[in-house]
Amino acid sequence: MEYDKKKLEEIAGRIYDLDAEVYRVLGSGLGRVFNGSRESTIRDLVRIMLDQPKVHYLRSELALIGNMARTITSKADRSRVMTEYNNILKLLDNMPTNFAIDILDQHAAELNSSRLSGRFAEGQHLIVCIGRTYGCAGTDIGFALADKLKINYYDSEIFAEVLERLEAEQDEVCDRASFAHHQNLNQSLGIDKDRTLRERIREFNRYHGLPKEDAIFFNQSDLICEMAKKEDFIIMGRCADVILTNHHIPHVSIFINAPFELRARRVMETDNLTYKGACKLLKRLDRRHRAYYEFYTGRKWGTSVNYDLCINSASYGIDGSVQLIERVINQHAR
Amino acid sequence: MLKKLFPLLAVLAVTAALCVAILDTGEAGVIPFWMCIPFAGLLLSIAIFPVVCPHWWERSQPAVVALWSLLFLIPYAGRMGFGGAVETVLDCIVNDYLTFIVLLFGLFCVSGNITLEGDLAGSPRVNVVLLLLGTLMSSCVGTTGASMLMVRPMIKMNAWRKRRRHIMVFFIFLISNIGGCLTPIGDPPLLMGFTRGVPFFWSLRLFPVMALNTAVLLFIFFWVDMRNYRKDIAQGRKPDISKPGTEIHIRGLHNLVFLVMIVAAVILSGTLPTLPAFQNAEGQVLGIHIFGEVTLTFPAMIEIAIILLATLLSFKTTDVSVRKSNHFTWGAIQEVAVLFIGIFITMQPALMLLKTYGASLGITTAFQMFWATGALSSFLDNTPTYLVFFTVAAAEGLSGVATSLGQIPVQMLMAISCGAVFMGANTYIGNAPNFMVKAISDENGILMPSFFGYLLWSLTCLVPVFLLDALIFFR
Repeated sequence: MEYDKKKLEEIAGRIYDLDAEVYRVLGSGLGRVFNGSRESTIRDLVRIMLDQPKVHYLRSELALIGNMARTITSKADRSRVMTEYNNILKLLDNMPTNFAIDILDQHAAELNSSRLSGRFAEGQHLIVCIGRTYGCAGTDIGFALADKLKINYYDSEIFAEVLERLEAEQDEVCDRASFAHHQNLNQSLGIDKDRTLRERIREFNRYHGLPKEDAIFFNQSDLICEMAKKEDFIIMGRCADVILTNHHIPHVSIFINAPFELRARRVMETDNLTYKGACKLLKRLDRRHRAYYEFYTGRKWGTSVNYDLCINSASYGIDGSVQLIERVINQHAR
Repeated sequence: MLKKLFPLLAVLAVTAALCVAILDTGEAGVIPFWMCIPFAGLLLSIAIFPVVCPHWWERSQPAVVALWSLLFLIPYAGRMGFGGAVETVLDCIVNDYLTFIVLLFGLFCVSGNITLEGDLAGSPRVNVVLLLLGTLMSSCVGTTGASMLMVRPMIKMNAWRKRRRHIMVFFIFLISNIGGCLTPIGDPPLLMGFTRGVPFFWSLRLFPVMALNTAVLLFIFFWVDMRNYRKDIAQGRKPDISKPGTEIHIRGLHNLVFLVMIVAAVILSGTLPTLPAFQNAEGQVLGIHIFGEVTLTFPAMIEIAIILLATLLSFKTTDVSVRKSNHFTWGAIQEVAVLFIGIFITMQPALMLLKTYGASLGITTAFQMFWATGALSSFLDNTPTYLVFFTVAAAEGLSGVATSLGQIPVQMLMAISCGAVFMGANTYIGNAPNFMVKAISDENGILMPSFFGYLLWSLTCLVPVFLLDALIFFR
């Protein structure tokens, strides 16, 4: 049997459907094996199948579905589900051992999702995720780019929308994902102090027992994915590049940086600080920014391999950077 | 392959056991060490077969258990006589296994009729709070009761996450074992101590040990859970918190009354045998004579009746949708019932050897008592293990806590109690709720570690904590 990408997607789809069917028949409220959406789960499963050393993992996952299926009380349902389970198991057992190589040889270009060229299919929205360090003029570049491409620019607007969703108030919670204004750093340090037990319980209830930063991040993730289905936009920070990658939503990821010395001089001007104060602020913001990004993405902030394009804004200036990004998008991504 | 070979291997093994029984010229009434081989074989089967051939193992558990039991019983009958073998099996089933499995069954059923519905999301912080709550609850409703009550909410809240096995491993460490050390209700060995004169609240002395263990383990757990939580988030997993505010509903809450009934039955089973009304002139507990010296005592019958009544009432008064929402099935209890009858039977020679040689092992210090009781409780039933070392300690003639068997130094009794209660967490078979939690997790999409995988967790997380206990409290 020839195992091409379509065949793998079919097997993955059957595994997902089997899990959903078992869960439906059981009527359990304790969770299922694959919790994600059908589309993203199928993509993940196909990726696992392509990665031969990990195929044993897929069998373990299937065994978990089998464990649940065996507890179905209705004989007819159990028999139907177990037949499908056994059929899928046979398909997995029959997979070639040099499977990954076969597939990649045949469809390498098609399957290589890291390529920028042809990333956006017909009808898909252009989303540009910009990560930047404080003081490198990343925000100005983002604004100018949005203006040039005539698409929306989002940063703190996302946070305001999230607050609305959570029915939270601005003074209760700060925008920890925003590193555009250094005031946020100072706000966040003091916000958790002097809360009464009642307030803590209310917060626990409001954020589903999660730390509020995490609850906000999860809501932000949902919001960004929803927006990505509706419009073209530029989004500043908020780990949007990784959020969209995890949801298999095409986007262009850019990281903008500048030499520390030049960033410090810019911050001295914009924030009216001494050189020493600017350096101190930048170090603190970089540390927090790095920690935030790494906490929620598991990736190293600013590492070039994580982005489509990394720019030293000091080399090109604001306008030059905008032109560079625009050229890359127009020539390669669209 | 194994499906075809197993009957042949079984026939060969039973024939070999018969040959051993016929050719065995050892002294009648003396248990040789090789009779522990079937117990070791059963443990290895539990450890290896679920990994090597899971489907065959699932179907063949009763046959494997029967085979290992026969491999012990045939040579045993050869040495002790047929009557002796029957008496040993009946004694083990009637006096140990029956009450054990009925209690487990009752708690399993009643807790299965309570369901927590809502959108509280499992995070390291919430998990730590739940584990702490469960650990404290264990001493009030028993480790089995707390485990059965907490396992489903724990699974449910963390359903959004991919990496969950460590949560259930620490659940077993804390709620299914360590939490039960503060009262005689917590764990059966302490109940046995209570029936032998240890004051009811004496176990509260173990609080500093429990507090240290809980604090260290929760700290480790938080670190491990945070790492896994971050990995889950980094892969794009997120809980459904689309609605503002948390809604939590508990359905079947009235079943707590039946849970209290079961706890009361356990307490009665420990206290009734000491009352004169339940004893004959020789001080033996009254009951129905079954065979040889085996008697099903009236207190045990009362315990069983109350538990079964509570279970029946629980089922009658709870809507079936609650059980459906809880994914209530008989698989977990069935697996435990089958495996543990084999464990109870095949571990008899090990327990007999312990009773025979326990006093001559030269274990005289609290440090030694802690490790000896603990190491054996990891694999054997911790109640008889506790009793053996309890008796050994009482026979030393030192001053301390007054019991019906003699005085035991406080530190020594603390070491025996902690060893028996805590180290049941070392293996899946160390304590009944361990296996129940594993089985329920397996049924609900959590890939639990294998027998040896779990052992690795306990060796890396638990044993260092026990070492700390030994150095601080039992040196």
